[in-house]
Amino acid sequence: MSADPAKVLPMNARSKPKIVAKGVQKNFGSVVAMEDVTLSIQEREFIAIIGPSGCGKSTFLYLIAGFEKPSGGELTLNGKAIRGPGPDRGVVFQEFVLFPWLTVLRNITLGLDIQGVKREEAEERALKWIRLTGLSGFENAYPSTLSGGMKQRVAIARALTYEPEVLLLDEPFGALDVQTKNYMIKDLQNLWQEANRTIVMITHSVTEAVHMADRVVVLSSRPSRVIADVRIDVPHPRDRRNPSMHRYEDEITAILSAEVDKAMSLERQIGLL
Amino acid sequence: MSTIDLASAKPPSEARAIPLLPNIGARSGVIVALLVLWELAARLGWINAFLFPAPSNIAATIWTQSGPDGNPPYAMPMHVLRSMIRLLAGIALAVVIGTVLGVLIGMTRWARTLFQPLISIFMPVPTLAWTPVLLLLTGIDDRTTIIVVFIAAVFEVIYTIVAGIEMMNVKLFWVARSMGASRLQIFLRVIIPAIFPYLITGMRLGTGYAWRALIAAEMLAASSLGLGFMIYDASEYMSTNVIYAGIILIAVLGYLLENVLIGRLEASTTEKWGIQSER
Repeated sequence: MSADPAKVLPMNARSKPKIVAKGVQKNFGSVVAMEDVTLSIQEREFIAIIGPSGCGKSTFLYLIAGFEKPSGGELTLNGKAIRGPGPDRGVVFQEFVLFPWLTVLRNITLGLDIQGVKREEAEERALKWIRLTGLSGFENAYPSTLSGGMKQRVAIARALTYEPEVLLLDEPFGALDVQTKNYMIKDLQNLWQEANRTIVMITHSVTEAVHMADRVVVLSSRPSRVIADVRIDVPHPRDRRNPSMHRYEDEITAILSAEVDKAMSLERQIGLL
Repeated sequence: MSTIDLASAKPPSEARAIPLLPNIGARSGVIVALLVLWELAARLGWINAFLFPAPSNIAATIWTQSGPDGNPPYAMPMHVLRSMIRLLAGIALAVVIGTVLGVLIGMTRWARTLFQPLISIFMPVPTLAWTPVLLLLTGIDDRTTIIVVFIAAVFEVIYTIVAGIEMMNVKLFWVARSMGASRLQIFLRVIIPAIFPYLITGMRLGTGYAWRALIAAEMLAASSLGLGFMIYDASEYMSTNVIYAGIILIAVLGYLLENVLIGRLEASTTEKWGIQSER
């Protein structure tokens, strides 16, 4: 029997790379924010990117979204270089960024509306995501009357309703209090399975990353590189008390703390000069 | 529990309306007391009733001049209507042109380079200084007064719109562009509503300036109608009753414009959305 590498790695054989970053570099003026980020994200994979604060995690997400342009290297989606934002990628920001003049329903249907989909059809398609994000009954509320958790549900439903191939989450629970955050992570567990798309999530919480993602990528402090890439082999829905989750958490926390220590001592040295 | 949540979710502007309420009675009390005192003083001869005619006489003048016995018949409503048409036409122009210019200045470098020095130069010029030039350009007709109103209001509109653009969250554009919105869609469906609170502020300030400028311009450049013309014309005939009638109407209409017209607009937009417009 010949050893077929495709059989050794069934995950990779089934899926093809959706987003590929090769030596991606990003400078802001003379500051090198990112040097040589190389990473391949598979179709329908949920990947969490984690790193010390200020390491350029969000910048990497904005590069994929097309809001920023890389200063060097190659960044492709479906094999084509990314040139600006587009409806094949939906974005959810930490600070929600809802349109305050639109009701919950109109925020969610805006993407389809802009693409010329008829109002009834848009509402029909929005309904599924309104239900899955737990927003039923709030369709006609204005964002200013909602709590942070509810606002983020609207932002998630808004991004999913126009059915992008890739969902980009920029610290989606970062602006919420701990209780709301934990509840949302548990409550939305099925949503990501149901959405069944390529998801890239930026986070600074190891627990969040391990709980939600299929794969956790750790970035170094600035200028950022990939320093670890861990597959989380625990089936969904995941239980917080599962001991193997704790092992993953410990492993990633160790890598991250070492990186933070390094960054901090470097910062102190610079401060002393 | 749920009532507490609802109350805390209300926009702060509504919370501020509550301490104002008891003031309304006190305020109208002050005005009524003043009118009564004035009436008495005029009747009892404490003040010159020609220079300060009794409020009841002024009211009677407004009443007769509003009816078929006026000179000309229905004079008062016609003066008011003409002033209002000029004011609203000028403000509408200022809102449209001011918004477009404000967005261009706020968002493009070329417009900023081109218009900002011009605005800095012309903004401090009193609007009335333009009237002689406009009279020469257009003659004595509504165009002069409408353009005066436009000039009086447009700088405030531009100024607040530029401020609104500068305060806008760039991520609102990003979300719209991720949805595949075109430039026109972004302008109409993101920029315009996002700057609406600022537009209302600009309109509020602009309308105040425009209303004053209009009355003055009508004194210089109106041939037959308008509240400013009415006051100016009455001074030629020493009809102090009509002059005071004009002043009172200007005050009342100015109050209604600010509180009813713009107040309604605000209630149906920014207050409903739960965003504060700058005052």
